[in-house]
Amino acid sequence: MYCLNEKQIDFILDDIRRNGVELEDLQSNLLDHICCIIEQELEENGDFEQFYFSTIKKFYKNELREIEEETISLLTFKNYYVMKKTMLVSGVISASLLTLGIILKFLHMPGAAVGIVLGIGGMSFVFLPLLFLLKIKEQKETKNKVLIGLGTFAGILMTLGILFKIMFWPGANMMALTSLLILLFVFLPVYFFTGFRNPETKVNTVVSSILILTGCGLFLTLVRSPAGSKLMGIQMTKDYLINEKILENEKRLLMQSAAANSLVLQNKPEVKNLNQLCEDIKQKIVFFEVGTNTIGEDFESKDIWLGDGRVDKYMNEDQGMQQKITALRDYVKNYNANYVAKAGGKLMPLHSNVIDMYQLRSTEALNGIIQLQMCILQNERALILGN
Amino acid sequence: MIYSSELIKGTLKTIILKLLKDNKRMYGYEITQRVKELTNDRIHLTEGALYPSLHALEADGILTTETEYIGKRVRKYYSLSPKGKNVSKEKISEFADFMNTMKFLLDIKTDIA
Repeated sequence: MYCLNEKQIDFILDDIRRNGVELEDLQSNLLDHICCIIEQELEENGDFEQFYFSTIKKFYKNELREIEEETISLLTFKNYYVMKKTMLVSGVISASLLTLGIILKFLHMPGAAVGIVLGIGGMSFVFLPLLFLLKIKEQKETKNKVLIGLGTFAGILMTLGILFKIMFWPGANMMALTSLLILLFVFLPVYFFTGFRNPETKVNTVVSSILILTGCGLFLTLVRSPAGSKLMGIQMTKDYLINEKILENEKRLLMQSAAANSLVLQNKPEVKNLNQLCEDIKQKIVFFEVGTNTIGEDFESKDIWLGDGRVDKYMNEDQGMQQKITALRDYVKNYNANYVAKAGGKLMPLHSNVIDMYQLRSTEALNGIIQLQMCILQNERALILGN
Repeated sequence: MIYSSELIKGTLKTIILKLLKDNKRMYGYEITQRVKELTNDRIHLTEGALYPSLHALEADGILTTETEYIGKRVRKYYSLSPKGKNVSKEKISEFADFMNTMKFLLDIKTDIA
C-alpha cells in the first residue's frame, strides 16, 4: 500500500483544477477517489506520477472537464422532462387561447383581448424560452447556440410587437421592426451560410430561408407605407374640412332664418356652452395632431395633415381635455333630458362617439363631434318649423 | 464479460440507491469497489458517470452528505434521505418490473435451477 504525502495531494488537486473542474464538491470527490485508488493499487515504491496520469486518464474520454459538464448539465436539467412537458403543454394552451381569442375578436364578443394577450404572452414568455433552453442543450457548437438564441429573441420580440400593436400599447412598431431587422440581417445570413455549406442540411436550409424571407415579406406587406399614410391623412383631413364647412353654412342659414325667432336654442346658455365645448375639444385634437389650433384649406402646401393619433392618448397627456370630454358628456345628457325628452321624441337625441369611446382616432372623433353639432342645428330647425 | 456503459447508464441511480440502502453511508470510491466486488468485476462504474449522478441525487434531496477529513483531503459520505428511502424502493421495484417486461419482450428463457 502506497502512502501519499501532502505535496502529492496538492499536486493532484492542482491538476484536477487545471483541467477545468471548478465545482469544489466535485474536486474533493475526485481527489479522494484518486487518492483511494493510488493508495490501494500502487506499490509502496511505485512511480507516483506515472501511476497518477495513467489512472486519471481512465476517468474520462477526452477531457477531465467532461465530468463537471455532465454534473452541471444533470443539475441544470434535472427537470428536463418536466421542462419538455411544460413546453408542450404551454404551447398547446397558448395556441388554443390565441385561436379562441381571434375567433372571439372576429365575432366581436367579450373575452377576445384576454384570450389573445394570454395566448401571445404564454407563447412569448413560456413556450419560446423553454424551447430555446431545450434546443440549446442539443447543440454542441457555440455558433449554433448563438443562432438559436438570436432566432428565439427575434421570435419573442415579433410576437410581443404584434401583441403591443393590437393592444395599442406603446413601442409596438419599434419591437416588430427590430425583430424583423435581426431576423433578416443577422439571423438569416448566418443561418443560411452555415447550413448551406453542409450537404446534409443544404436543402432544408434553403427551404427554411425561403420561408423566413417570404414570412418577413408578407409581414411587411401588411405595414402601411409612409406615402400611403400621407395619402390617407390628406384624404381624412379633406373630409374633416368639408364637414366643418357644412356645419358652418348650416349655422349661418339657421341664424338667418331664425333671426326673429325667440326660440333659438343656440342663444340659450346651456346650448351655447355645449357648442363651445365641442369647438374646444376639436381645437385641442387638431392642436395635438398638427401643432396649431386650426387647420386651413392650404394644409397640403404646409405639409401638415391630421394623422391617426388616438384620443385616449391625448387625454392622458392633457388633463384639460379629459375634463372637457367629461363635461361634454354631461351637457349632452342634460340637453337630451331638457329638450329632446320634452319635445316628445320629435327632436334627435345627441350621440357622439368620443363621449364614451376614448380609443377613437382623432379624425373619427372630430367628425363625431361635428355630427353632434349638426344634430343640434337640425333640432332647432325642427323646433322653428314646428312653431 | 463487462457490460456496456449504455446498459449501466439507465440503472446507475438504482444501483447507487440500493447500495446506500444496505450500507447506510458510503463514499464514491467505496461504491465503485463494492459494485465490482458484488458483481465479480463485471460491472465497473466509471467516475465520469458516478459523480454527476451522486451530485444530481444530492441536489434532488434524495441523498444527504457528511464530510470527513482524511488527513489533508475531504471525504464525502453519501446516505439516503427519508425521501431517498422511498425513491430507492420505487426504483428497485420499477426495475424489477422492467426486467420482467424485457424478459417477455426479448423472449429470454431464464435457467434458474
